[in-house]
Amino acid sequence: MNEIEKIGNQTLSPLGRVGEGLLSIKNLKAEIEGKKILNGINLEVKAGEVHAIMGPNGAGKSTLSAVLAGRADYDVTEGSVTLDGKDLLDMSAEDRAREGVFLAFQYPIEIPGVSTTNFLKTAVNEKRKYQGLEPMEATDFLKLMRQKMEFVEMDKSLTSRSLNEGFSGGEKKRNEIFQMAMLEPKLSILDETDSGLDIDALRLVSEGVNKLRNKDNAYIVITHYQRLLDYIVPDFVHVLYKGRIVKSGDASLAKELELKGYDWIKAEVEANAKII
Amino acid sequence: MLLENIKSEYNQYKNQAEESAFFQLREKAFAEFDKSGFPTIKNEEWKYTNLKSIFDKNFKSTCVSSASVKNLLVDSLFNSIKANKLVFVNGSFNPELSSIIEKDSAIVISNLAKARKENTIVFDAHFGNYAKIENESLNAMNTALMSDGAFVYVPSNKKVENPIIIINVVDANDMNVLSQPRNLIILEKNAEACIVESYISVGVNASFINVVNEIYVNENAHLEHYKIQQQTGESYQNNYTQIFQEANTNINQVTLTLDGTMVRNNLHFYMNGKNCDTLLYGLYITEGSNHIDNHTRVDHAMPNCQSNELYKGIMKDKSTAVFNGKIMVHLDAQKTNAYQRNQNVLLDPEASINTKPQLEIFADDVKCTHGATIGQLDEEPMFYLRSRGIPEDVARKMLLNAFADDIAEKIKIPELVGLLEQLIEEKL
Repeated sequence: MNEIEKIGNQTLSPLGRVGEGLLSIKNLKAEIEGKKILNGINLEVKAGEVHAIMGPNGAGKSTLSAVLAGRADYDVTEGSVTLDGKDLLDMSAEDRAREGVFLAFQYPIEIPGVSTTNFLKTAVNEKRKYQGLEPMEATDFLKLMRQKMEFVEMDKSLTSRSLNEGFSGGEKKRNEIFQMAMLEPKLSILDETDSGLDIDALRLVSEGVNKLRNKDNAYIVITHYQRLLDYIVPDFVHVLYKGRIVKSGDASLAKELELKGYDWIKAEVEANAKII
Repeated sequence: MLLENIKSEYNQYKNQAEESAFFQLREKAFAEFDKSGFPTIKNEEWKYTNLKSIFDKNFKSTCVSSASVKNLLVDSLFNSIKANKLVFVNGSFNPELSSIIEKDSAIVISNLAKARKENTIVFDAHFGNYAKIENESLNAMNTALMSDGAFVYVPSNKKVENPIIIINVVDANDMNVLSQPRNLIILEKNAEACIVESYISVGVNASFINVVNEIYVNENAHLEHYKIQQQTGESYQNNYTQIFQEANTNINQVTLTLDGTMVRNNLHFYMNGKNCDTLLYGLYITEGSNHIDNHTRVDHAMPNCQSNELYKGIMKDKSTAVFNGKIMVHLDAQKTNAYQRNQNVLLDPEASINTKPQLEIFADDVKCTHGATIGQLDEEPMFYLRSRGIPEDVARKMLLNAFADDIAEKIKIPELVGLLEQLIEEKL
């Protein structure tokens, strides 16, 4: 299905697939220091789906991921976001994570002195505590870690070091995917995961994500370029411009953008604005 | 008041003292002390540390030691660590509680009073040479009235196999205690040693401990030197350390100040030869209304030396801290590399730090940097941890521990580092 549908303010399910509703964003508006960045986002994500969000620089892509993950710098001025029917915006960043939101950072930071193992043990057990479960036994935890490391092809030596300290760009991104594997989120947001990666690293990271994809989880893949979507093939592609989703389609939309750039979409939006 | 206590103690000593060069030195020191008196906040070096609360009290030198000292030692960080231990209680050497396990009899691990008689040549060659008494009235006071202290002598090409731990116990069960330990440490050419100074205390009364360390490190020698201060109760400490380095020496110095009502450290390095390499690390954690002041000074007097300093502080409640780090690059000290950083985290709105990194450079071909930061924990690491489901309070603890452990880990006694990290975690 190559036809591109233009969607206004109504919630969308362009390909008519039916899954379980997981994330629901309605008319989301957000600003930072009085500057309006998101101007009414609507998005429905069902379990098992991968949604790509593309758009030119400054469209609000990273703001959307930050607002969903609970970064405090942004003020949400209107709209709602629910995860499994629960109000996400009302939750702290840590509660969102424990409810199943995971943000793979564009620039994962280095935290010297905090070991990757200790960090993940804390994160896993905090999530279990939230779910009313007992903390994991140390040996079980180490077994799980080994298993997941193999699964995402992460070098064992990395976990004995401080979190991301001295990691290459590719290692940092792979560590994000490894954490994702450990925490088993319902909704993962990949914020420009492809930035700064060479083709081999990109392939490894993408393979990790593809292995983790299943019918119960969903992904929002934020990217400027189509390249990543060759590896992580999305069910839906949305174009974000000036803080709104101005176009949605399937994977072919990404290819069209790669070919034609973003200018035609900008022109279309401006033209529509004039008519209205 | 303290001044009267000191004067009367000195007069008592003087009436019994026999004429000797040592007595002459003490006379000179007392005259110096008498002339300059205690430092006040009008003295630039003491601007942020007011000793008035000490001087308004009565203190007494005493060799009284109660049964609780033994328990204190059992509970100390060092109980299970294999080391040479020299224990001083209220400044007096306690042979029963001490243990020397070093087998090489050429290495002297002893107390100063004994060494003055048995190692006279070394003692006379070094004692009083490094810690100046002019304009340093607390050094002068120590020199005039010191009780006892550690004496370590490592001859050329010898390596002390196990760490030497100098444990200073203040027992303030019976009265306000004054003690003035004096340590003299000599590493000859190509010698190697690891020395730990420890300060612990017990008892309900106040204590004032005024320490002077003189450390001489001869060519090509390597010294690991750690200071671990954890006196509790109403405890005041002034700790002066002068380390004199000859050419090609290598020193790793770590100062951990984890407790104490008021602690003032004066840590001085003098690089008297080429190719010295000195690392200085410090961690201070203050709480309640405690006050911790670290004054460091590194004198680069000769070319091609390197110093790297990192001091970190965590201040809680209404506590205060001071960092004053001076790097002095002398005219002849070309090709000096000197780095200094001071990082502070204030955990409560009423906690405070006065920090003053200072560089004075008289040579022209040098690389020097210095800087200080004061703030709360960084937001970015905090958000990263929280975004993985770790609650804010747990995340803060993790980051604070990492910040502090970074310094504790500079100590090269693994079992001690483990214990220290536990201790730090409990404190934070």
